[in-house]
Amino acid sequence: MEKPPKAGNIENRKAHWIEWATGAVSALLVMILVGWIGYHAVTQGNGPPDLSVTIVSSAGRAQGYLVMFDVENTGDRTAATVVVRGEISAKDDVIETVETTLDYVPARSKARGGLIFRNDPEGRSRIAATGFSEP
Amino acid sequence: MTKGGTRADFDHGRFATGLARGFAGALLFALPMFLTMEMWELGFYIDRSRLLILLLVNIPLLVLLARRIGFENVSTWREALRDASIAYCLGTGASAFVLFLIGVLKIDQALSEMFGIIAIQAVPASIGALLGRSELGTQTESSEDEKDPIGATRGDGYGGELFLMVVGAVFLGLNVAPTEEMILISFKMSLWHALAAISASILLMHGFVYALSFTGGHELGEDTPGWHALIRFTLPGYIIAFAISLYCLWTFHRLDGLDPTQAIVVAAVLAFPSAIGAAAARLIL
Repeated sequence: MEKPPKAGNIENRKAHWIEWATGAVSALLVMILVGWIGYHAVTQGNGPPDLSVTIVSSAGRAQGYLVMFDVENTGDRTAATVVVRGEISAKDDVIETVETTLDYVPARSKARGGLIFRNDPEGRSRIAATGFSEP
Repeated sequence: MTKGGTRADFDHGRFATGLARGFAGALLFALPMFLTMEMWELGFYIDRSRLLILLLVNIPLLVLLARRIGFENVSTWREALRDASIAYCLGTGASAFVLFLIGVLKIDQALSEMFGIIAIQAVPASIGALLGRSELGTQTESSEDEKDPIGATRGDGYGGELFLMVVGAVFLGLNVAPTEEMILISFKMSLWHALAAISASILLMHGFVYALSFTGGHELGEDTPGWHALIRFTLPGYIIAFAISLYCLWTFHRLDGLDPTQAIVVAAVLAFPSAIGAAAARLIL
């Protein structure tokens, strides 16, 4: 301590009640934050990503048929580079396959993407996630 | 310049130097963002209402900043408003200049894209312009002492400290918030990592200001226990950094579709640099 603390230092003045009130609210918020994460850290498993695809909308466009979909990850870990493949099959033959890749589908979250078919997918398409990597 | 003085004693050279300093500050502080790919892309796809909110929020921030650390002699709100608008203008100019210079923007691009990219980058650049003009400029000791908050009311002093933390957190937070690394890091982290990150942020914030005794005049007196400062300054500072991190992430569409717990983890990741920025601002500004 080469120089003594300045008398005017904001820390050393007698604190106004507002400062204590702000501090108390902040301490409470930090505790809630830590408590929330801590609770989930204890209760949550560490299972692999669990991906499911739901179709949001399907519409004809000039260049083809656009199908928007949501990928939901109900697992506890995040999936990266999620490959989503859509197939149109007639009878037993697959007549068209389209594919897209989503960067991330975070744990217990959703991500949206779109696939563009040349043929009308109505009633004969199947869209599913076919693979991912760990981030 | 209506309030600054009469026409006769208006110093053109000094004014030009001030503008140049502001421009230099904008470049110095915002170049990392100008050169970030995610920021260009955000200019295209950012929700226009979120962009508008960001641009509006920046105005009071600049005015308060001008008032607090201001250009040479800011003594009225009117002058603070003047300096803030000059800084905003300089920031926009610097943003447009650099983005055209590096070929990100081209003359034949759609106007809404151009405006989006320039506007989003103008926010950090304008803060940089204000900081540049005051921090790069040579301030005399006497004018520094006049502004020392000793004479100020107590509430002003405390509010001022919190505001400095806001500026520091916005500054460092904005720099990294748009990058993909923030969400990627949060995906790699477990929740235990997140808890560790929060504790480390708070400890580092406190240590930066109080334990390392940098030149900022924050030495604690004999009769002021450390936990007093922790409750009154460090914890509010962390909450500020965390809230600003959440806001930045929301603005940049990083929280869309994210589970609340996951969103908190991303915010805790971003709050780490923001908290350090907040602590550093109390020492530097």
